[in-house]
Amino acid sequence: MTRAVQVQHEGDIALVRLNRPEAANCLSGAMIQSLLETFRKLKDDREVKGVIITGGGKFFCAGGDIGEMAAMSPMAAVEFAELGQKLMFAIERVGKPVLAVVNGHALGGGLELALACDFIVASTAAFFAAPEIKLGIIPGFGGTQRLARLVGKAKAKELIFTGDSINAAEAHAIGLVNRVYEPDQLLAQALELMQTICSRGPLSLRMGKEIIDAGYDIDLANACLMERDAFALCFSTEDQKEGMGAFLEKRPARFPGR
Amino acid sequence: MPYKKLHIEIIDRVGSILMQSGSRFNKLSITTLRELKRAFGELEADPAVTVIVLSGYPGESFAVGADIAQMRDFGPAEGFAFAELGQSLFAQMEECGKPIIGALNGITMGGGCDLALACDIRLGSDALLFAHPGAKLGIITGFCGTQKLPRLVGKNFAREIFMTSDPYTAADGLRMGFINRLFPAASFWDDVVAFAGRIAAHPVEPLLYGKKIINASEDVELKSGCVMELGAFSSLFATEARAEKMQSFLNRKKNHGTR
Repeated sequence: MTRAVQVQHEGDIALVRLNRPEAANCLSGAMIQSLLETFRKLKDDREVKGVIITGGGKFFCAGGDIGEMAAMSPMAAVEFAELGQKLMFAIERVGKPVLAVVNGHALGGGLELALACDFIVASTAAFFAAPEIKLGIIPGFGGTQRLARLVGKAKAKELIFTGDSINAAEAHAIGLVNRVYEPDQLLAQALELMQTICSRGPLSLRMGKEIIDAGYDIDLANACLMERDAFALCFSTEDQKEGMGAFLEKRPARFPGR
Repeated sequence: MPYKKLHIEIIDRVGSILMQSGSRFNKLSITTLRELKRAFGELEADPAVTVIVLSGYPGESFAVGADIAQMRDFGPAEGFAFAELGQSLFAQMEECGKPIIGALNGITMGGGCDLALACDIRLGSDALLFAHPGAKLGIITGFCGTQKLPRLVGKNFAREIFMTSDPYTAADGLRMGFINRLFPAASFWDDVVAFAGRIAAHPVEPLLYGKKIINASEDVELKSGCVMELGAFSSLFATEARAEKMQSFLNRKKNHGTR
């Protein structure tokens, strides 16, 4: 049996591929568990500096398994949503940059998976939707919160109230997607982008990621205090000495990650 | 009791509140504000309505602020009472359990702009002109605009709009994120009704929970918001609409598979 989640290492980058194309890479309980284990391992893997999530086949991810959800009681739905939310928080706290590379449809839980990543790049063939409303439910993996935070309350309501899908260009226009590439260029461009990111200091990447996420939810003055302390902490690392030394010596920096 | 300043229409689960003050501008007089409170209350309670549309269609304006001739003679106490009436209307719109779409057909200024901001989603006609011209009159808005506009379009554009007091076009509105969609004036109402109809096709319960929980996203941090989402998500599994919609989705999928 092929694994539902494949992890391929490309240098410093871990390429995580959802690999159940026959099921549109849907987030069954088992798929979520595999992703959760994958991200737990990636968090501790010091060789991995950046992570890319993408979908194998035509879909990025079609979201929750409706066959599984159809018979759920409210209490079973709590457990299911809790498992999904745990995964999304695990992605946010993995300590390294995570890029969603949306190759095709990102629907419902698939959209929420992309939203838990640091940012999204997409193929021109990608579509995004929160179609839960059509099934009499709402998103349950943090989508009502992360979508509103990313594109604003009104756009989030439009997508969640209509359930309609938008294409990559529209997603780019509303700030859901950072960059759009042709399908045959997508993965190569994403890898190149992640390589650029991974050439930066891993400690400052981690601090940048965590302080942007944490600071977004608190008031400006306290968030700036946290930034001040994280900034100061950078000065205890070899990465800072290397970065500034290389700049002054006019050569590219090689960050040791310490 | 009939409305003096509003016309109400309910067609195919879409309840429309059309402001018709009888003049070029829909001034938000005390009467209009009170009637709006009553109309939103009635449409929220009406089981035949899933979505509410608020507009000044087919007139030239969506709404402008208070009647300045009336406001000129306000003292602080009258100003307070008037602002409080407006704020209580906007709070009612936010608390309303049904999606409210602002269909911005034309001039949308001052308090009218704040009325638009109290809607969940804004759709603009290319005849839309919006502004916050309070500075020209030596005042600022008292209807929450200083708080809601920056939350919608960001502090940067909000400051520009307040500081210039200038009118902005529909294209500006789309660029800044003030409106979600821009429709041609010629087909505006048809486009608005079609858009509202797509939302009205869904069960009422997830629309209610979706609205409440997205509104909360602005006021709570991510973790608490996600915990609230858990409760809302799972509660919906008790509704008949959910069971029926999921079953029909699965049946449709099966039929596609065997064709």
